[in-house]
Amino acid sequence: MLIDQNKINEAVTTIIGYGGENIRQCVQCGACSAVCPGVKAGFPLLCRNLIRHLLNGQLEEIIEDSSSWGCQACNRCTEVCPQGVRPQEVVFAFRRYQANQLAFSTSSITSQMNLFETGHAVYLDPKAARKKVGLPQETPTSAFDDKARKEIQTLINNSPMGELGLF
Amino acid sequence: MAKVGVYVCHCGSNIAGVIDVAAVRDFAETLPDVVIARKDLFMCSDSGQEMVKQDIRNGLVDRVVVAACTPRTHEPIFRAAIEKAGLNKYLFEMANIRDQGSWVHGHDHEGATAKAKKIVASAVGKARYLEPLEDKFVEVTDAALVIGGGIGGISAALELANMGHKTYLVEKRPSIGGVMAQLDKTFPTNDCSACILTPMMVEAYNHPNIETLTYAEVDEVEGYIGNFKAKIRRKQTYVDWSKCTGCGDCAGKCPSKTADEFNAGLSDRRAAYIMFPQAVPKKAVIDMEHCINCAGREIGTLPKINEKTGRPVLAPCERACPAEAINRSLAHDPAGAIQEIEVGAIVVATGYQVMDKGWFKEMAPASPNVITALQLERIISATGPTEGKLLRPSDKEKPHTITFVSCMGSRDEHFHTYCSRFCCMYMIKQARLIKEKYPDMVINMHFIDVRAAGKGYDEYYTGARKMGINFFKGKVGGLEMLPEDKLRVLAYDMESATGIEYQSDLVVLATAVELPPDATALAQKLGLQFCGSHFFRELHPKLGPVETASEGLFLAGCCQGPKDIPDTVAQAKGAAAAAAGPLARGRVRIDPIISEVHTEQCSGCGICVPLCPYHAISMKTYADSPRAQIEMSACKGCGVCTSACPSGAIVLHGYEESQIFAQIEALTA
Amino acid sequence: MEKIGLYLGCNIPLKAPDIEQSFRKIFPVLGIEPVDLQGASCCPAWGTAPSFDLNTWCAISSRNITIAEEQEVDIMTGCNSCFGVLSEAKHFLEDQGRRKTVNASLAAINREFKGTSDVYHVAHVLHRKVGTGKIREKLKYSLDGLKIAVQTGCHALWPTDVYKVREDNPYYPTMLRELCEATGATVPHYSRLEGCCGMGGMRSTDLEKSLGLFREKLLSIKEETDADLIVTTCSSCFLQFDMSQPLLKERGSIDFEPIPTFYYTQLLALAMGFDPGQVAAISQIDRSRIIQDIQSENRLIKEVA
Repeated sequence: MLIDQNKINEAVTTIIGYGGENIRQCVQCGACSAVCPGVKAGFPLLCRNLIRHLLNGQLEEIIEDSSSWGCQACNRCTEVCPQGVRPQEVVFAFRRYQANQLAFSTSSITSQMNLFETGHAVYLDPKAARKKVGLPQETPTSAFDDKARKEIQTLINNSPMGELGLF
Repeated sequence: MAKVGVYVCHCGSNIAGVIDVAAVRDFAETLPDVVIARKDLFMCSDSGQEMVKQDIRNGLVDRVVVAACTPRTHEPIFRAAIEKAGLNKYLFEMANIRDQGSWVHGHDHEGATAKAKKIVASAVGKARYLEPLEDKFVEVTDAALVIGGGIGGISAALELANMGHKTYLVEKRPSIGGVMAQLDKTFPTNDCSACILTPMMVEAYNHPNIETLTYAEVDEVEGYIGNFKAKIRRKQTYVDWSKCTGCGDCAGKCPSKTADEFNAGLSDRRAAYIMFPQAVPKKAVIDMEHCINCAGREIGTLPKINEKTGRPVLAPCERACPAEAINRSLAHDPAGAIQEIEVGAIVVATGYQVMDKGWFKEMAPASPNVITALQLERIISATGPTEGKLLRPSDKEKPHTITFVSCMGSRDEHFHTYCSRFCCMYMIKQARLIKEKYPDMVINMHFIDVRAAGKGYDEYYTGARKMGINFFKGKVGGLEMLPEDKLRVLAYDMESATGIEYQSDLVVLATAVELPPDATALAQKLGLQFCGSHFFRELHPKLGPVETASEGLFLAGCCQGPKDIPDTVAQAKGAAAAAAGPLARGRVRIDPIISEVHTEQCSGCGICVPLCPYHAISMKTYADSPRAQIEMSACKGCGVCTSACPSGAIVLHGYEESQIFAQIEALTA
Repeated sequence: MEKIGLYLGCNIPLKAPDIEQSFRKIFPVLGIEPVDLQGASCCPAWGTAPSFDLNTWCAISSRNITIAEEQEVDIMTGCNSCFGVLSEAKHFLEDQGRRKTVNASLAAINREFKGTSDVYHVAHVLHRKVGTGKIREKLKYSLDGLKIAVQTGCHALWPTDVYKVREDNPYYPTMLRELCEATGATVPHYSRLEGCCGMGGMRSTDLEKSLGLFREKLLSIKEETDADLIVTTCSSCFLQFDMSQPLLKERGSIDFEPIPTFYYTQLLALAMGFDPGQVAAISQIDRSRIIQDIQSENRLIKEVA
């Protein structure tokens, strides 16, 4: 691997821009990876290893890797990190980079569509189940609230998500 | 009429790169009373200094202004130079056009040059009114105080004593020895710690020039370099040390228990106890906080009489002592006794503590088999709670797998951001000692980095790898508690980028080095400062490692920052040499830049007295009324009293009113 | 009665409305009136807005919080993920620069985030505001003799610097254990108690990895505690335990019967005597036997005369 300072700068600036502000504080101690459920489950490019690749300038080379989408945002990493890196925010910053380049799985598109159309990332018709347990069939949420749905769509349309052309 | 010479320095390009030095020199010539204005590439060089000296010798100038860098570093040089040329060295003023000029206004050359001219004008204004001042000297008490009886304190005390100076060695615990006495072996030689330490302890205790005061603490310190007065509190031992033979029978009979600090809490000691078998002095102490006053034997009361036998009912400790050193009927003062001493220099060598495992919530601190490295050291020590056998605290069984975790609380923004420096080495030491004794033991060491920077240290580390001890690069993130008090280690191998999980029988945490909580009170008593990492602050991080901002007060060992034994001893000997300086010279110089009361003008209002941070002012009667008087050796010339005096009766030599007003006038022109 | 906004999220009202019903039944009895947050949406889930843009995340989250602010109530939620998303968004909005930007987005829908409503987890409300003492008072049945393995989940525990209510030691959480012990049951410790169950983003990205992690957790529970039931305060964890145990059994990855799993408020509702058909009706694992046991006559708490 060549050390290309321009690529490193670009990677770091991109990550900081998407919210992973403290990426440079990482000393590669590995405590985050020791407690990460994603690493434990076998995702190869999370926490310490992801930060290493990013600090090496490998932004485009790893854009297709799905490990970052296995991050649970549980923040065990943030809790144990001795240098205040908040690794979960670096992983999510990388995710945002991937998402804005449309490098995420197609199954995830369903969630975004659900969110836009009903205000719920996970949606299925609840009326039968709710009736069964004695609740009003319609939820008091955006799923059955026109005004609420319009508000959410406005927020999404006015955001970078709206610019992706998914809706 | 003063004859002021102004000398402007280029300082290479440090100043000249921003400021137009020639223009400043030209400007200086126009100032009142300036007879000569010169410039040079480096004023502090031989040729630069010679330039000034020549003008003085030729009678051209009698006040000198150098416009250059900072008086903090260079004032003494120029003062010495003009003194050599025959001019009073206090007829010198420095204009700082570097730190306050070129260094801070690097982007504004015009502005920096204009400011430099103003600074020079101010210095010239003051220089015109400078008066000659004379250094004063006071006698020095030829004695030293060393606070702390660990390896650092002992080394410093021995150096001072061997140089011929009377030395007091004060230690708060019943015996000297410090943390080194708790160690089993020392790296990288694997010397038995007690074997190399105890000869020094004995030598110090028996040295004709050393008076060792153990179970004693510094209560109060007054004075200044060469003339310190200290009150040492000899804490109440409740045992007559002139009779105590150190047999330990009292401890054998005492029923009261508390955690043994020497064994890092792994075992109990009695309220009556001897600190450890090789204690120096080997004397018993009764810890009244944990004494249960058995048989109703309150201190200072007469014993009840047994109705049947007619004999007094004594406490077990009293009955056990064959030397009659314990007598609870005596009215022992719980506050102990004060011993007042006078010394010329003080060396602080109060050492450190290690963080408790309870701070690290992710490391299952509730488990008995998670211990600190100091606790492990006590377990493998022959004088420890298991007589040197490596046994798990929970069930006293032999472990099969041991885990070492580095950097607990060090290099960590939640606790201490610094590296504790010697933990890597002692972890490797403990691992090597255990592997030697139990070759089948599985030893897993988890580091972020391995720091082995001393002499013989890297070879010690690679030797450990050769012995079959496992090294993993990656900080342990947590421990999970398994049945039978085992631990599951959640770790990570960075080198192969894989997670690690395994069962361990015993987990050893290398917890961070820090100062004990009583360090704050000691610092307040002595006037010590703390650095950003909360260790005692040295005078200069590079060039003043043993001195402090208070003259006559020196630092040695871990109280100044984490370090291993060789560095502690080196620093202790350095501190001793520095401390011996004033003692050997026999006198110390008092700076004449201090305040003085014009007694006739003093109205006796007393406002200045409580304002002085150095308690240098007292009221003395003069012509039938009280007037303020300043003790010149205590005054630091801060100027608070001078500005507060409503009668204007106090003058601060070197910062007199006429001088300051001239500066203001020049700056606002 | 103290009013607290009930933030439902997605899974609870849509997939597991019996959990929602259990909230609505038990809280009034315990002195808390759950208030509906009309028009609340997805928090939004980690895989949606938070994965695209920080400010959009904060905008959608804060919109939900403003619904509670308008009614001058705090928020409680039963889903750990929602709790994490909302709490972290609120934390990000303490930065005044970001708050300005997000409020500019909210202005387009006539809303303004003020930061006056606190975000709690249902478990926090039960443990700190209601208290185990009051819970004990309101029990109809005692669960004495039952062994419960608890699953606290991830987001309620970390990162500690962002939450209003925290455990003393997040690596050894005690709140859920104490809530379960209040019903009379025993709650033994197991080594992987604070471990992740594998639900959430992990499961949708790679089912096999998620199941691998989940199996480790399940084995730790079975081997170390042999629990009669599993109780959680996370709706996501509930779904994982309920769905994936039968899946593993089908594949032959585990050789024991799936352990019945409840959301804590369901257990409490049952112990208080509410109708299982309303509060514990929807699950893949058959819970009928244990429900019968819980609501059996010999568990009735006798009044002391």
